[in-house]
Parts: sequence; structure tokens; C-alpha cells
Amino acid sequence: MITVEGLTKTYGGFRAVDDVSFVAQPGRVTGFLGPNGAGKTTTMRIMVGLTPPTQGRVTIGGHAYQDIPNPGRHVGVLLDASAQHAGRTGREVLTIGARTMGLPDSRVDEILEMVSLTPAEAKRRVRNYSLGMRQRLGVAHALLGDPSVLILDEPANGLDPAGIRWMRGLLKGYADRGGTVLLSSHLLHEVEQIADEMILIGRGRIVAQGDKKTLLSGQAASSLVTSLDNDALARALTAAGHSASPAGEGLRVDCETAEVGRAALAAGVVLTDLRSGAAGLEDLFLELTADTQREGHPAAATAQGGAA
Amino acid sequence: MSTTTPPVQPAAPSGALDISSTPRVPFGRLVRVEVRKSLDTRAGRWFAGSIVALCLAIVLITAFAAPDAAQDLGFFLSVSGATLGYFLPILLILMVTSEWSQRTGLVTFTLEPHRARVVGAKFCAGLLLGLGLIVLAFAIGALGNVIAGGAWDVETGTLVNGVIVANLIGIVLGFAIGMLLMNSPAAIVAYFIYTLVLPIAVGILGAFQEWFADLAPWIEFNTAQASLFEGDAVPTGEELGQLLVSGFIWLVVPFAVGLWRLLRAEPK
Repeated sequence: MITVEGLTKTYGGFRAVDDVSFVAQPGRVTGFLGPNGAGKTTTMRIMVGLTPPTQGRVTIGGHAYQDIPNPGRHVGVLLDASAQHAGRTGREVLTIGARTMGLPDSRVDEILEMVSLTPAEAKRRVRNYSLGMRQRLGVAHALLGDPSVLILDEPANGLDPAGIRWMRGLLKGYADRGGTVLLSSHLLHEVEQIADEMILIGRGRIVAQGDKKTLLSGQAASSLVTSLDNDALARALTAAGHSASPAGEGLRVDCETAEVGRAALAAGVVLTDLRSGAAGLEDLFLELTADTQREGHPAAATAQGGAA
Repeated sequence: MSTTTPPVQPAAPSGALDISSTPRVPFGRLVRVEVRKSLDTRAGRWFAGSIVALCLAIVLITAFAAPDAAQDLGFFLSVSGATLGYFLPILLILMVTSEWSQRTGLVTFTLEPHRARVVGAKFCAGLLLGLGLIVLAFAIGALGNVIAGGAWDVETGTLVNGVIVANLIGIVLGFAIGMLLMNSPAAIVAYFIYTLVLPIAVGILGAFQEWFADLAPWIEFNTAQASLFEGDAVPTGEELGQLLVSGFIWLVVPFAVGLWRLLRAEPK
């Protein structure tokens, strides 16, 4: 379990992390989500004692990181997969970690297999690794000491689709066995699919947290519907007290999909497409972090046809 | 792709970590890892190997080129030891700066968050490596003497001051510069300026200004160390004073400031 309490970090007048509090529970994958420069990495660096906080504190399983003896055996950390000596082989990087933690060298082979790095790849120097291979090596390093807590900064960065799926399975399985996983990302899709719990951060502050359902519960209901007779359906919906407006080939209605279905059934209109039109997590995320996005207001960016 | 993993350590229901059965990383293990880290890259191995090769080459050249009368064991030991002395500090510099230049500090200081222990282990590892190289340099010097057929005379001063003490100073100096600058190229350039350019500049100044020639050994460490290489001579009280004063300026102060900086720096 990772507990962050009132964490603040200022650099001069700049508040990189501003009164951040959250808990990452065991048995769950907690996603730490925010645009670039939102303070995710700084928060994680403070967690493992690389950066001293200005205020607040972090405990991992009830202890300050500095108080955990041989921390590699309890907390697996990946902060930057590229932060390895370019001249070392992948195997050597892991061997150094294993030796420091007091693990047998056979553990290195085990973990290489687990992250699907072949013996030939392990013999290559890190400078010749692709970003995806570095990520695998970094994850291998984090898992080396068989820790019960994982702290991973952008672990899916640079992985191909198969690699991302593999990472998802690995972390999910890890949490299912009781481990605590905190991972950061600036890519919503990555986190949405894997995280049980999400923490949205923008400009150093937490803007929302909770599971997907809680996060979206505040959103107004909305449905998108297409039928063989949109005019008749619109009349029926208006009669039922909903407001319907044309949207593309169909209608946008301000109610749940069930209500639309009911009105269509009563009016005897054949539906060809019916789905929730509620703003997804992405819209929520962009809305909440709007003032921190470099692209300005997301609505403006969307209107120009490009996602912010 | 396999996703099978060994079971995660059973976490207490509260999520608390049970750290009672985990001992901290023993210091000796940290030292062994640091020794390994300085030799496990091609650059590290070649650098250490090159120092030894260079000692060998220079000793062999001297064995054939120097006048026979000058050649005895002491002479060869000082030649070999002086060659080592030029390059040994760079090995120490790289031990420290690679954590920052290669950014491995992120991992190193996460696996052992008590940075002072890492620094201590690194220093011990540097001493061990340095002593190993001094022993090798001795062997090479002896080999040169065998080839040259020189006398087996050695003055204690040469052995202790000129080779061992001078190289130990070099080890501490390299470590201090590494901690102070935390950047490989900058630290190496600074080292060469300190060890090659500075004494020459001081010498030139001293040649023109007599008062400066008197002052130089007090404020310039290289100049002060010259007394270490004067054969059997035990440094006089004045020479020892000069060593201590200039050593404080060029060794103790940089070491203390560097240590302070390194313990506080944020590895990026």
C-alpha cells in the first residue's frame, strides 16, 4: 500500500506537486494519469527518496522508503528505462541489481524469461536496445526482488501493441496476487484498460480520483440513436419529455439509452444504432486538465478536428 | 509471451510491509557491487587495462633508454608508480561521475537510499581497485628492473611517499573532483588542468616572482607534493606543513564540498 499525504514540492516559485494525497491499495492497479509535466514523475521520485518533498510525506506499507531495509526486495521501481549505463549488457544490469539485493544469479535468468528477453538479447549492450527492450529490461529490474509494491513511471512507453497487452496482463496478474501497483501514464487508453483506480493530475494538483464508474458518474446522461424514421422517433422522444437534436445521421438525446429504446418501442420505430453518447473518460480528462494542456482548451482543438 | 510470475509476497491485509525479516544491504556487498560496476563495461575494463599497459610500456622504454647507472628497483618503481599516478584519479572520477553522466544513480540510489553508504562503498571500492593497481605497478616496476639488470635497491621514501602516498592522494583527489563536478568530461578536464596546467603556470609565475616561488608550495598541492618524490628524505616540518595546507585547499575542501553536493543532488 502506498499512502501519499499532502505532498508538495516547489522549485523556486514553481509548484511541481501541489498538496497531493492519495492511496494506492494492495490488490489493485492504480493509474496515475496526467499530461506531460503534471508532476507524476516528481511525485514518484519523492516516493522513493530521490527527491526530498517540500511538505507532506509518503509511506509505503507504513514505512518511509528510506526506512525499508534492502528496499529492492519490497518495492520494485522503474523511473526511467533509459537511465542505464549504455555500455552494460542487459544481463549485467540485472546481475548488478541481483547482487545488490543479495539474490542468486539464477534469478536473473528467471526474470529475463519472464519479460521475454532472449539470452542473445540479454548479451547485447543497452545502447543497442530499442525503447521497448529497455522498458522490458526496466520492468525486469523492478520485478527482480519479488517486491509486493511496484512503482512504474510510464512503463508502456515505447512498447508495441503486443508489448502493451503483455504489460497489462503482467500487472493485472500481479495485482490479482495481492501486489500494489502504481503506474503513471500520459496516455489515457493505456491506463483506462488496466487501472482499477485512477488518479488524474494536472499542474501538480489532483483533479479527480476514483474508479472509472465513479469518475464518469457525474456526467450527464446522453444517447446517440439512429433509426429508420428519425423524425417519428424525435417526436416520440419529445413527447416523453426528452430533448432530441439531430446529430450526424441520427439524433442526440439527453437521456439513458434505455429511455430511447422504450420510446422507440412505443412508437414502433426500428432502431439501427443506439449507444451511450456520454462524454468518455478522455473528454473528462481533457476537461479536468484543460487549463494545464499545452494545446489550450480541448474544445477548440477538437473543433479543428484534432484531439488535443 | 509468458505472463507467469512467481507469487507476490503475501501482503498483510492492511497493506503493511513486513520488513522485520529483511536485513539491510551489507556494506561489503555494496563494495563488491561497486568494484564490479567499475569493471563491467568495455570502457571500464579498457581503461584499467590501458593504465597497466601504459605502465608496462613506459617501464620497458626506460629500461632500455635510461642510463644504466640510474637504474635500480627504486627508479623503476617510481617510474611505474608515477605513470599510474597520472591516470588512477580518472578511474575514480569515472566511478563517481558515471552515476550521473550515465544516469545509473536513479537505480543505485533507489536500491540503497542511504546515499552516504553508497558513497562509502564507492570509496572503498576505489581504494581496493587503486591498491590492486599499485600492486600491479610494483610488479611491473620489478619486471623492468629484472630486464635492465639493475640493483635491488629501493629507498623507503620512494616506496612509501612517491608511490603509495602519492597514489592514495590521487585516489582521494579523483573521488573529490568526481563528486564536485558529477560530470565525466568536465571532471576529467578539470583534473588535467589541475595536474598538468596548474603546476606549470605556478612554475612560470614563480620563476619571475621570488615571493611567489616561496608561496607556491603552500597554496599549490602539486608543487608541495614534489617533496614526496625526493628519495629517502622524510618531509621536513616545513614541507609537511606545506603538504597539509595545500592539501587542505585542494583535497579536503573539494572533498567536503563534493560530498555535500552529492548527498543532496537529485539524480535526474
